Amino acid sequence: MTGAIGKPTPYIDAVQKVTGQAMYADDYKFPNMVYVSCLRSTESHAKIKSLELKKAEASPGVVAIVTGKDIPVPFGVLSISRDETAMAIEKVRYQGEIVAAVAAETIEAAEAGVKLINVEYEPLTEFFTPQDSLKTCTPDEQIHAHTKDHKNIHKTAELRFNEPEKELETAKHKQTGNFIFAGVTHGFTEPHSAVAMWNGDETLTIISATQVPHYLQKNLSKVLGLPLHKIQVKKPVLGGGFGGKSDPFPHEMIVSFLSKKIKRPVKCTFSREEVFITHHGRHPTEINMSLSCDDGGKITALDADIIIDGGAYGSFGVVTSYYNGVLLQGPYLIDKFGFRTRRTYTNKHQCGAMRGHGAVNPRYAVETLLDMMAHDMEMDPCDLREKNFLSDHSSTVGEFRITSNGIRDCIAAVRKKSDWDNRYGNLPYGHGLGVACGFFISGSALPILWNRYPQTVVHAKLDFDGRIVMFSGASDIGQGSDTMLVQIAAEELGIPMDFVQVEVSDTKTTPVDLGSYSSRVTFMVGNAAKSAASNIRREMAKAISKEKDTPAENITFKNGRIFTNDKSLDISWEEGVEMAMAGRGAFVESGFYISPKLGGNFKGAGAGLSPSYSFGAFISEVEVNPKTGETNVIKVWGAHDCGKALNPLAVEGQIEGSIHMGLGQTMSEEMRYKNGQQLNANFFDYRIPSSLDTPDMDVTIIESNDPEGPYGAKEAGEGPIHPVLPSIGNAVFDAVGVRMMELPITPDKVLKKIKENA
Amino acid sequence: MEYYHSPDSIKDALSMAREFDGNFIYFAGGTDVQIYRKQKLEKNEHIIDLKSIHDLNSISIKDEVLSLGAMTPLDDIIKSKEILKFFPVLVEAAKSVATPVIRKTATIGGNLLVRNRCTFYNQSQEWRNGVGSCLRDVGDICQVTGGKNDCFSRNVSDTAAALIALNAEITLINSNGMTQKPIKGIYLPCGIKFHDLDNEIILTQIRVPFSPKKWWYKKLRMRKTLDFTSLTIAATIDNQDIARICLNGVSMTPILIEEPIETLTLESLIKQARKNCKTVDNDLMPLKYRREMINVYLEEFWNSIYI
Amino acid sequence: MEKVTLTVNGFTQSVLVESHETILDTLRNRLNLTGTKKCCDEGTCGSCTILMDGKPVLGCLTPTLRCVGKEILTIEGISSGESLHLVQKHLVKSLGLQCGFCTPGVVMTAIPFLEENPHASRNEIKESLSGNLCRCTGYKKIIDAVENAAEEMRS
Repeated sequence: MTGAIGKPTPYIDAVQKVTGQAMYADDYKFPNMVYVSCLRSTESHAKIKSLELKKAEASPGVVAIVTGKDIPVPFGVLSISRDETAMAIEKVRYQGEIVAAVAAETIEAAEAGVKLINVEYEPLTEFFTPQDSLKTCTPDEQIHAHTKDHKNIHKTAELRFNEPEKELETAKHKQTGNFIFAGVTHGFTEPHSAVAMWNGDETLTIISATQVPHYLQKNLSKVLGLPLHKIQVKKPVLGGGFGGKSDPFPHEMIVSFLSKKIKRPVKCTFSREEVFITHHGRHPTEINMSLSCDDGGKITALDADIIIDGGAYGSFGVVTSYYNGVLLQGPYLIDKFGFRTRRTYTNKHQCGAMRGHGAVNPRYAVETLLDMMAHDMEMDPCDLREKNFLSDHSSTVGEFRITSNGIRDCIAAVRKKSDWDNRYGNLPYGHGLGVACGFFISGSALPILWNRYPQTVVHAKLDFDGRIVMFSGASDIGQGSDTMLVQIAAEELGIPMDFVQVEVSDTKTTPVDLGSYSSRVTFMVGNAAKSAASNIRREMAKAISKEKDTPAENITFKNGRIFTNDKSLDISWEEGVEMAMAGRGAFVESGFYISPKLGGNFKGAGAGLSPSYSFGAFISEVEVNPKTGETNVIKVWGAHDCGKALNPLAVEGQIEGSIHMGLGQTMSEEMRYKNGQQLNANFFDYRIPSSLDTPDMDVTIIESNDPEGPYGAKEAGEGPIHPVLPSIGNAVFDAVGVRMMELPITPDKVLKKIKENA
Repeated sequence: MEYYHSPDSIKDALSMAREFDGNFIYFAGGTDVQIYRKQKLEKNEHIIDLKSIHDLNSISIKDEVLSLGAMTPLDDIIKSKEILKFFPVLVEAAKSVATPVIRKTATIGGNLLVRNRCTFYNQSQEWRNGVGSCLRDVGDICQVTGGKNDCFSRNVSDTAAALIALNAEITLINSNGMTQKPIKGIYLPCGIKFHDLDNEIILTQIRVPFSPKKWWYKKLRMRKTLDFTSLTIAATIDNQDIARICLNGVSMTPILIEEPIETLTLESLIKQARKNCKTVDNDLMPLKYRREMINVYLEEFWNSIYI
Repeated sequence: MEKVTLTVNGFTQSVLVESHETILDTLRNRLNLTGTKKCCDEGTCGSCTILMDGKPVLGCLTPTLRCVGKEILTIEGISSGESLHLVQKHLVKSLGLQCGFCTPGVVMTAIPFLEENPHASRNEIKESLSGNLCRCTGYKKIIDAVENAAEEMRS
């Protein structure tokens, strides 16, 4: 790579962000705009007996009010899970669910209108824990009528290969654990916000803080009964997603419906408490897991029984159910493997996809069991892991195709940098080191909505001003995908980055990208962008070759010039542009990405299937105060195999951010509920680590050069989080000899375990 | 109607207070009160902003006695080399409140009078509509204990713990004139009416009469910033060997144990603390653990004075 | 509603505000200065930090009426003119921002801090930012940027 790829590159939108010029959804104002405030349920599970709007409708400044019946078509990000409506119809399923929405001239008038709505509820049986939901109930009591067997089970996902349970029955070396994980939430700083405009030409434009403009477009079409071609979704600059903005949302349906009804722009921005209520975070999880290995330390079997608490609606939950299990197939070779995940509905805020999606909690479980195994077998935990790594260019038991695999380099790097070999097991009581590994998908090989289109398309346009514009539906959510588009075009065409600009995330003008989730963007959009830009180069070379009578294959594009090695051809970029455009004008080249056909033929084979996997190893160092149980993570070393760092700064940023988020879930974050109501729906009491709570981090980028990734690149957005949590848990064991089977690892839990151990 | 007022004298502030007849709040730093207003826990309409009143934010030390204006920002206390030299426990306490930027606005007087907290009370109006209000608000039971009479919301002032351990006094002014009282005397063991000051009173000065020969301070919380306390202990030993240990965050009022260090034992200290602290499950840290930490922290304090 | 005179980013103007309004809402909704962000609206995240007579304050906790007669400086005012402040320059260079939503608050906290503490250590910088919530970066590159800005400011 001779151009921009591989160089630490500031984001192309960093200056606008750092000067306050960047426009996020709530920053947009339009003439004649109205504001929406939502009436939210105070009950967790109840019939709506009556809804009286008259007083509210007459309230000064109120323009329109909508309720569930106005927008009755159900929607959901997964077509098999369309179980949510824009507002509750007939009954509410969680405390905080939207029951009505008031649009008014000012936000104060809207809020005043909400207070004047009279609603009466008739309580129904409430289900607050998965255990409640696993029991049989009456049809009236069921949260959703579609669940089977008179229970509130949303989904059971199960896969089994080679009878792991038999192996575990007789295994000489076996570890079993029961793990409990509290729910956590994304905690992005920008609240959800959407502005909808019904245009004069009878089309809808919505500007929304979304990670998935394409799915929003599709769901809006369904819910509003509007043809797809009349809907424009624009993602503005977005203040963090992490999976929390990767569903179509009720408020987006509401503002769109209202705008169409009253023919005025309609805005809805959530308060922080409403963001917590909206949630879609990581499922609270209970895992019973068993692991066995042979005398040499090679894993022989793994079996897991998992319950995830889905809250009131489906979201990505069916996928989460599978990911909880299937993503245990790496980074170790496990031949006898099985899992069962049951997702229950409960009357709480719904859970969905959150960074690491479904695989984070089981990763904690398996890495803890491995650590226990190493301890019992008196083996070094790193050595035990190294005996079991998948090879590159191999296959897992569930037929995941492993190509590039830098796990060995990852563990070697952190082992060395932390001085593991000298320090593990040798630090004084109260001070410890822990290791863990992980792996993750670089996008799902199978799209969630089946069709014959590519998973992403990028258009590159060349015009007379020498500018390349990359058109892509890809959603930059802060991970730097816009910058990646520019780097790739600059690389392929040998031009400075400032010759390349982007038009992104607008379903009217940019070709479809499925969205920023499942860590798919670098791999898929990167490939499509590379293809589009190189097609521009090919076309330019063709034209120049003809005009200058030079074989196209001898033409190099570099440093803003176009030349042959013998300099018989040596022209500027601008001259080349002119030649390429002669007689045809501006032109656009397309690039796209479709995953190769992969995987087995059994049911569930597609879950977790990816054209490429990232790998990582992390070591954490902790200090535990044995009198108070307070645990301080003092340093984290992380090595992540991202294939190729297209932008090393961005990859480091993702690893560091993942460490911070993983640390939060491990040490201090939890969604606390009492009777379906969250006790800590604010940033005082939902405790995200501050700068003082975040340890020093040492990050190593490992590049295994993936054969199919753009320039060898794979994901780095979610993979790094998985090993962080168990590395801390394992460090606590090294420090004070207790196994933390429950997250978060709060001081009271540590102290209790220390006392039990004594 | 104008609701924001910025008097430039105490006399004007008091006359406004009388005029608004209870329908007002004083703003010192305002960083706590602003949140109560947003949550509709504070419904009084008029703001009487004390920021323009002169001479309420001076720091002076004479003969190891500190005179501190009630409107002194916490950040000024932290930066004062003199306060650090003679009253370091106060600096530690001030440092542990909120965040660096908030501390530039929040005042020592405001922190002394910070309102008691409870998981079920310090929530938005919409939230309280859901779970049902409590007897401190407009409901009629305590959401923590289920009882109908007592409120157990906790005093969370870190600087109160330090200043009580320093045996400080405050100067109060109302339309009847000026009085001076020990700080410990104003707090009441009630989650609803947690001090005995009428709403017209303005706290103007704090006086710390001695510089301790030994001191100790610790605050229990989940993170190293922002979080309100789950247990604060400030302790001093003066030149007459009187120990003053003040616990806060675990009861409706700060709890002071004051005894000559010669006669005090760790066992008796722990017993008195545990007996007087009416700790209930109204904080996100588990109740059992907070109670355990009373013992652990007091033992740590005890060990520190014998080193 | 009350009519008040506010001086924001060097420009004095009359604005009609509610008595109970915060300066954050006035800036965003009445003066169209949307650079200052609303993330929690209750003092827990630092995203709404602005300067009032040079002192950093949280916009969400400051009544607008308290700002009368003061010089208010927002993120838009820090970088008027051609060049970025050194803190901004280094945040860009070191990737001390990803989604950028907390960034104006970080800038408005770091600048007065460095002006008061030009020789601040890394730990002191870290502590000064302990009221700024960031979910993207893990803080490391933010602190790197502020450290680098301090070094360049001193030279």
